[in-house]
Parts: sequence; C-alpha cells; structure tokens
Amino acid sequence: MTDNDGRRAPSPRLVAAVVAAVLALAAVVVAVVATGAQRTPPSPPPGAAPSASPAAPATHRSAGPGPTTATPGREPGTSPTGPVLAKSTPVSLTVPRLGLRSARLVHLGLARDGSIQVPPTGKDSPPSWFSGSPTPGELGPSVILGHVDSAAAGPAVFFRLGAMIPGDTATVQRADGRAAVFTVDRVEEYAKAKFPTLRVFGNTDRAELRLVTCGGRFDPRERSYESNIVVYAHLTSSHPA
Amino acid sequence: MRKSLLLATAGAAALTFAAASPAMAASGSQSYQANLQALNHQDASGTLTLSLNGNKATITEHTDGLAATFMDAPFPHVQHIHGGADGTCPTMSADKNGDGIVDTVEGLPSYGGILTTLSTTGDTSPKAGTNVKTAPAGAGFDYSRSITLDSATVSAIKAGTAVIVVHGDDPSKLSKKAQGEKSNLVPSLPLAATAPALCGKLVASQMGAMPSGGVSTGGGSTSGIEDQGLFLLSGGLLLAAGATLTARRRLATQGAK
Repeated sequence: MTDNDGRRAPSPRLVAAVVAAVLALAAVVVAVVATGAQRTPPSPPPGAAPSASPAAPATHRSAGPGPTTATPGREPGTSPTGPVLAKSTPVSLTVPRLGLRSARLVHLGLARDGSIQVPPTGKDSPPSWFSGSPTPGELGPSVILGHVDSAAAGPAVFFRLGAMIPGDTATVQRADGRAAVFTVDRVEEYAKAKFPTLRVFGNTDRAELRLVTCGGRFDPRERSYESNIVVYAHLTSSHPA
Repeated sequence: MRKSLLLATAGAAALTFAAASPAMAASGSQSYQANLQALNHQDASGTLTLSLNGNKATITEHTDGLAATFMDAPFPHVQHIHGGADGTCPTMSADKNGDGIVDTVEGLPSYGGILTTLSTTGDTSPKAGTNVKTAPAGAGFDYSRSITLDSATVSAIKAGTAVIVVHGDDPSKLSKKAQGEKSNLVPSLPLAATAPALCGKLVASQMGAMPSGGVSTGGGSTSGIEDQGLFLLSGGLLLAAGATLTARRRLATQGAK
C-alpha cells in the first residue's frame, strides 16, 4: 500500500507489533524496578549454641559473649565492673551503623497495659528512652526503643537495627554534657509471646544499653510484628559531648 | 517515592491514635527481680518479677524444666516467699543428714520460714504452704497474680531477706536414699514432693518500672509487598501489550484478501 507520494507507510501490523513490544518491555522494566525497591528490615543471623542462662534462648543471635547474669550464685548488680556515670537524662542518640547522628530522644514511660509506651508512628518518628529504665551510663540496662517501620511512611529510625554487629557503637549525649559511648556485645531476636523479661531488663554488673525494635513476621490481622530485636551494649567510655 | 494503598494509610492513622495512650508507671511502686537457680540436681530454671506498691504485689513468673508428673497427674510445685533469715539460697553444705539433698528444713537458716504462699488462687498465707491443690503444676509454668502482702513479707522484701523458693523435685535426679525418704513437712508425701527445686534471692530491680511483654515498635509497611501500585502498572502494561497483539492479529485477518 503506498500513499500519494509513493513512499511506503509502515503497515498497521508492523506498528502494532512495535507498540506491543514496547509495552511488554515497559512492563518488565517497571516490575524489575518495583521488585528492587522492596525493603525488608534486616534480621540478626541464626544463632550458635543456645546460651546457658536461665532465661529463654533467643531464636537468633549474633556472635558475642553471653550475658553477665548467667553465673549461678553470683547476684548481678552487687559488684559493678567497668565505668559507671551519674544519673543524667538522655538528649540525643548517635549510631553510625544506623546513620543516626544526634537524633533527638523523647522520654516515655509505661503504657496502660504495662508494656513500654512507644512514640507515634509516621515520618520522622524519634527514638525513645524508656523513663522506667536507668539513664544511659548508670549501672543497669538503659532501654532505648525505636520503630522499625510504620504502616504509612516506610522504614523508620531503627529499620536497620538487626544489622548491627558486636563492636558497633552507640553514643548517647546526656543533659549533663557528657557523651556515653556504648559498644555492642550481641544482637538477639525473640518471639514477643515468649519475651524473656529478665534477660533483657534484668539487673546487670555494668552500665548497659538495650536498643529495641520489632522484627520477624508481620501479623496483618494483629497489625504488629511477632518478634522483638534487642541489641545489647555496654558502656566503654565517655567524654564531653 | 513510596505510594501506599489508601486502606493502609487509614489503618495507620487509627493505629497511631490507639498507640498513644497516656499512662505512666504507678508512682511509689518499686520493682524486684529473682533469677531462680536449680537446687538438688534439678535441671530447672526460672525468673520472677515482683512489683510492689504499698502492700500490693503483682508477681510474674516463668519456670522451665521442673518435675513434670506425680502419680499420673501434673507435679504440683508449692512455692513461697521466704524471709527473715540470711536472705540467701542454700548450698549443698546445708545437707546435714548426708542424704545428698537439701530439704526444706535444712534450707531454713538460708532462706527463712514461709512468709507468703504463691498459690494460684485463694489463701496466700503460710497456712496454705503445703496445699498442693492451689500450687502451679507441671514441668514449666507461667504464673501471674496480684496479691496483698502482710507486713512481715513487705518488711523482709525491703530488708533484702526475701527469697523465692519453688518446691518439688524430680526424684530420678536424687540419691537412692533421698528417693526413699518421706517429707518432713507432710509425712504422707515423699521427700521429693516438698524438697526445694528452685531458689532465687528477691533483689531490688535496677529498673524503676519493669515492663511486661515485648515492645510494639513497627507498623508493617516494609513487610509484604510494597509499592503495589507499580506492580499493578506492570500488569496493566502487559495486558495492553496483549491487547495490541490481539488487535494486530485482527488487522491481519481483515487485511487478507
């Protein structure tokens, strides 16, 4: 078929073939992009031998020495070891592994159901120090928690907590002007239904830190994660902030 | 830029308001903890937390590895807050009669007499101390109860002499001699039924308030499939490609002369 000038116009069949090919290619590209954009919070690696401590063994744990509470007959908290600071409320948190630099900390207590109250979810949800725990740097387990994600706004401040490893640091800037530097000992994951309260919040011999977020399987009916990830760290030094 | 389904956004808003309940730990309450260690060759373990507000105590306890059955029924484990003595758990050196186990009486100088019975229901006085019907039972249990303590118990807790003891041993782990003995508390029962299995000193917690359960720190947007809109777009493009090919085939059949 030719037009008035004698040039051959592309046949409708050829045009259709080209259009179909372009659409199919676009479909593949979009699917690849969407798949690549999937984000999953990291989990600590599956554990080595279960620990000898009395509390429930973790489902996952990174390498690192076990808890200091496991020695039979020796009550933790009676003979503190390592540096210990005076009481001072925390102001901000710096964790290089999580890309956090002087992230403002809020303070929250217990919710009505006896669990730790959490900050509102959503964009820029801050990490929170549990005011029922020791201030960071005091003897005992100071607890800081953060959301892993929110239903609407994607990854949150502790999204990559499960990727922390022994040797990483977390520094808390305190109201008294000192920065308390904690070094990670181990990272563990527990089913919330079997949360080992004293393993996480029990007395310790040192100034320690617990960074807590959610992990494991998300239950869409409960709209919550089934597990908690806990990073254990202890105070190794401090300096003027 | 991340797109979320309208439904998920509405759900998030509801969750946010639900989560922000305004509450603090009861002021004036003090937390205590006990790591329960095995006595008498048992393979048991446990933990206990006690929150004390005036004379009201809320106790949460978890145990594992205790003797499981006794005469075809779950093994009852009477348990108590002891106190007023040394405030410690006995070691094997307390075994005065050489039968290889520290029985309840031999442990008294260490942990003291019964001040409160941690029963599952009803009476919590020392009088209920050997009531196996109101004792938690089985190889492991989760115990949770709020009770009123008498002044002797509150004093012992504050003085640091309170000790948690869970009784009832697996006889297969005891010496032959001990297996044959009768209980010196309830002579109709074997010694294994009342001898201590777990013991832990009740000490002040370093936490001002002990949380219960896990922490709710996630709303789930990164679980499941994200950017579902993009996958829908991809699917739509594929359908469009398919429709174009169908149209092309129709053009071919129409064009044939």
